[in-house]
Amino acid sequence: MLALHTLFMNAIAEERDANVSRRTLLGNGSKLAVGGAIAIAAAGSPALARLVAAQEFTDDIDILNYALTLEHLEYAFYRDGLEGFSADLFDDGVFDNLMDIRDHEGAHVDALVSTISDLGGTPVEEAEYDFGYQNAAGFLAVAAALENTGVSAYDGAGAAIENVDLLNAAGSIVAVEARHASYLNLINGEDPFPAAFETPLSRDEILAIAGPFIVQ
Amino acid sequence: MRRTNTNAYHESLTNALTQAQAHRSSRRTALRTSLVATGAAAITLTGSSVFGFRSAMAQTFAGPVDVLNYALTLEHLEATFYRMFNDEFSAMDIESAGFGSNVRGRLESIEAHEAEHVDVLVSVIGSLGGTPVTEAMYNFGVTDVDSYIATAQVLENLGVGAYTGAAQFLIESDDLLTAALTIHGVEARHASYLNVLNDDSPFPEAFETALSPEEVLAAAGPLIVSGMPDTGAGPGASTDGPGMGTYAALGALGLGAAALAARTRESRMRDQAVAIKA
Repeated sequence: MLALHTLFMNAIAEERDANVSRRTLLGNGSKLAVGGAIAIAAAGSPALARLVAAQEFTDDIDILNYALTLEHLEYAFYRDGLEGFSADLFDDGVFDNLMDIRDHEGAHVDALVSTISDLGGTPVEEAEYDFGYQNAAGFLAVAAALENTGVSAYDGAGAAIENVDLLNAAGSIVAVEARHASYLNLINGEDPFPAAFETPLSRDEILAIAGPFIVQ
Repeated sequence: MRRTNTNAYHESLTNALTQAQAHRSSRRTALRTSLVATGAAAITLTGSSVFGFRSAMAQTFAGPVDVLNYALTLEHLEATFYRMFNDEFSAMDIESAGFGSNVRGRLESIEAHEAEHVDVLVSVIGSLGGTPVTEAMYNFGVTDVDSYIATAQVLENLGVGAYTGAAQFLIESDDLLTAALTIHGVEARHASYLNVLNDDSPFPEAFETALSPEEVLAAAGPLIVSGMPDTGAGPGASTDGPGMGTYAALGALGLGAAALAARTRESRMRDQAVAIKA
């Protein structure tokens, strides 16, 4: 897991200026267990967002690439995963909604790529992933984990965004991720809204959850 | 458990409030300056066609307290709404109307969430030295379970649009912004679920539509029959706003039938626990 985590970090690190002190900060692994992505929505404290938000990112481009890393992962998950399943495996309507989610993640990727480019940055590229599911039920469980993690990621990073327009953009994405998360929780038999408040997570924690999905 | 979370949450907020308070006046100036500066930057940075925002709000808030009171106005409305109609309609009423057996519990959950949002906002506004707006008198026009569920959908989607539009006004305060975002996500979860119950897409767009305070108050204003608080955010009860009614707000929120054409919808009977066919 540490190796994967390092790989993941390197993919982002290539695209940003070196920042020794911050990298040291990010070197500490998270204690969060893989697979705890759904459970974390009901636990934890927003206070931890404050601990890291201010020093965690070098600039807005860095934050956008962080978001793009997750959106790449989500989009690839649905794009490739849905090709392997036929619609009639699922209850009526579910497959259509999954295709909508796929398209949303694709739109998020496109928007982030063009925004990062417009800002003079270099968008991170899609990686190779292994999501580890064996069947449609496993696919839906991973989907829920990814979406809930996405909400926590945006909520944890939002305060670090300095540009109002980028904050608005992030706000319009995170709401849609939360809609996805709610729906996926529902069809997984989980509570669509397990707590009165979302749980913001630091970059460190998010990468500990998402990193193992990234193989290269 | 929820109460504990709320207390921890409140504590984390109030810890930073002294600092926020000290910088209130300078932040106010900075916020205005930043809004002016970024109005022009919106197109060059993100491209209006990409994210589809209204890049500039016609009206802004005097400070964080006003933003939070704006949010509190909506949370009061929502909290009262669920309290009233969860009381009025029994679990049996809801099932008799054709909804699944899980629905009642979900509506109670939402009621609890909205009440917690009210509690936190009241506390934070008080800690900032502001005066929290109080609950008003409302007329939701609900006559049966169907109109209860339909109105809930409108309110939740309105709430998401409101937070999406207002988060930017808290950009100068990391803690308040994060707090707003953690509420925002939960409103979006509620909206998604209520869309499903109303046979609409849970997520009709790839990007949430930000609503301005004027739009939100124009939509919510007609529901408030007295005690409409002055949040400093705009025209209140829709006298000179766009004039959307409760259900007309659906169209503005992208939930119109046209946007949902050719979609196979979940049956409201399900709130299904199993999505894979046996």
